[in-house]
Amino acid sequence: MCHTRGFSYCIVNELSVYGLSNLLCVAVFELGSTSFATQGARVSRVVIELTGLFSAAGSLFIVAAGLTLVFGAMRVINLSHGSFYMYGAFLTSTLVGTSTGSRFWLAIVVASLGVAVLGGVVGLGVIRFVVNRDPLTQLLATFAVFLILADLALHIWGTGYRAVPLPKSLSGHIAVAGTTIPSFDIFVVGVSVVVGFGLWALLRHTQWGWRIRAAVDDPEVLEAGGVNLRRLQTSVFVLGSLLAGFGGAIVTPQISVAPGIDESIIVSAFLVAVIGGLGSVLGTAVGALIIAAAETLGALLLPTWASSFTYVAVILVLALRPSGLFGLAER
Amino acid sequence: MKDTSAKSAFGSPRFGGNANSIRLLRRTGLRPGALRPVVLVAIALVVGLAVPVSLSLELEYAISLAVFAVATNLLLGFGGLVSFGQGVFYGLGAYTIALGWMHHVLSFWEAMVLAPILGAVAAGLMGLIALRTKRLYFALLTLAFSQLAYVIFEEQYNFTSGANGIFGAMVPSWLNSPKNSYVFVLGLSVASLIAMWIVTRSRFGLVLRAIRDHRDRVEALGVNVFAHQLVAMAISGFFCALAGTMFVIYSQSTYPDLFLWTSSGIPVFMVVIGGMYRYLGPVLGALVYELAHHFLIAHTHDWQLVLGVVLLLVVLLRPDGLVGTFDSFQVRLRSRHSTDGDSK
Repeated sequence: MCHTRGFSYCIVNELSVYGLSNLLCVAVFELGSTSFATQGARVSRVVIELTGLFSAAGSLFIVAAGLTLVFGAMRVINLSHGSFYMYGAFLTSTLVGTSTGSRFWLAIVVASLGVAVLGGVVGLGVIRFVVNRDPLTQLLATFAVFLILADLALHIWGTGYRAVPLPKSLSGHIAVAGTTIPSFDIFVVGVSVVVGFGLWALLRHTQWGWRIRAAVDDPEVLEAGGVNLRRLQTSVFVLGSLLAGFGGAIVTPQISVAPGIDESIIVSAFLVAVIGGLGSVLGTAVGALIIAAAETLGALLLPTWASSFTYVAVILVLALRPSGLFGLAER
Repeated sequence: MKDTSAKSAFGSPRFGGNANSIRLLRRTGLRPGALRPVVLVAIALVVGLAVPVSLSLELEYAISLAVFAVATNLLLGFGGLVSFGQGVFYGLGAYTIALGWMHHVLSFWEAMVLAPILGAVAAGLMGLIALRTKRLYFALLTLAFSQLAYVIFEEQYNFTSGANGIFGAMVPSWLNSPKNSYVFVLGLSVASLIAMWIVTRSRFGLVLRAIRDHRDRVEALGVNVFAHQLVAMAISGFFCALAGTMFVIYSQSTYPDLFLWTSSGIPVFMVVIGGMYRYLGPVLGALVYELAHHFLIAHTHDWQLVLGVVLLLVVLLRPDGLVGTFDSFQVRLRSRHSTDGDSK
């Protein structure tokens, strides 16, 4: 019962959740920001912060959705997901170089597909041997992949920082409520919403999607019905790594691409997926908003405790709901 | 001599010692195998004092890591609790000494006493929350705690000097001599290992293993599973913090990376590489891990690659680790010997 409902890959509420947290933020800012002289300055400050918040939540959502998708279908927690993100970012930076033209779009596509191929290799080479094994084996095997990929990335791309220029078409700003916001942030938010609805449609309205949902609830019956479960799971893993690679590719203009981003993103992606509840795409969307909001609020209200604020939020959520907000009960 | 004692210590207790040593033991009234730990410690002492200083420092570090690994295995192997938060207690132990020194509030010895207590308290508090979850979520929640501790110690610059870490003469001057510090760390480690061995052999240790294997059944017998696991976490935290203090004695520094989730993974690697179903498995794992690390980083930049490949092979092919591999090899050898004897 709980399984079927929790795994409802449903995203329709995403917009209303956006609206809710919007209200919350505005309320907090209204209370906290007495230093702003005019109503207009206050509103534009709120707009700027919210744009950053949604943009951060959007890219987090794309990465964490891959993680949660893989967990939902295979019950494997994949620590090397962060490596896929990093490879997506590195591949994009190599392909774009210093170009500000349309090469960026091509680079995103090629990098995502390249990472999907890498995901296929890892899925066939390692992951299929640890499906149905205990969590320790899964964590350590994927940790091992993480270490190997990190080492190989050092050989390929070195230790330096790389900056990817914004594509010209998105380097501008848009005027909103008396201030301007970067159009790239709007783009990231838009893409994440499209990805969310895309996943929902894929899982709700395609044969592949209902097979995955069936694989979660009752793998034996599905297999008895003639479905190749292993191939199905590998395809989910490839999709998951594609999302990680895409997430890494799309944020390259906003971050400095360097070794170590694999380590930090995997923690954030975990936090998002875990508080949302592993296996639930809707939960992941909510989780991404909570994490991004906690980071933004933390930086504004308690600058010296900003990062701690996020972890405390996560620990509180898990202490109250051990399987996350929309999570599956443990089997 | 060295070879056989090491083998039998890690091997099955059923087949210990040669005829001479058994005769000797009968005369002294000791159980066979009772002298093995003494022999091991004697070897460790002689080797550590005989080898060059750089190697003895490395051994000292490896021995302190053995305590970290065995303490982690109390949860992992004996309790069936996959914790990725052991770095919290390790770092706390190290920072107790460093902060006590930096802020002039604790002497070294006061900090040495306080550190394991703080480790146990922190582990207990963490357990109160983390033990509400099971298996995978427990692993991820402890990982989040590890990361929380990292960001706290990294962000509170005024109190901890942040990412720079703390360096300085925080240990008594007589411990600056490599030989003294080696003997001290060895003694403290052996005492810790004996204490934890007693814990695993006690009734408590037995119940803990029973919970690992048949949680529901043990719960049905009226055992308070939560309380047992909580105490196990506190004991583990106690000794992890003690291992952390030994890190300070070895390196005379601390830094926030000790808390990072990747650091919390290291004792888990050692346990799995060595073998989690034997008491001394993690000790072997710690020695192999740290010595391999020491020699490999001198020759190659690909330490992570080697570690990853080894870890992958161990996890996929030999989940019982090096000790388990050795055990089954020994069993196979013995069965071949016994069939040889029958045919004669």
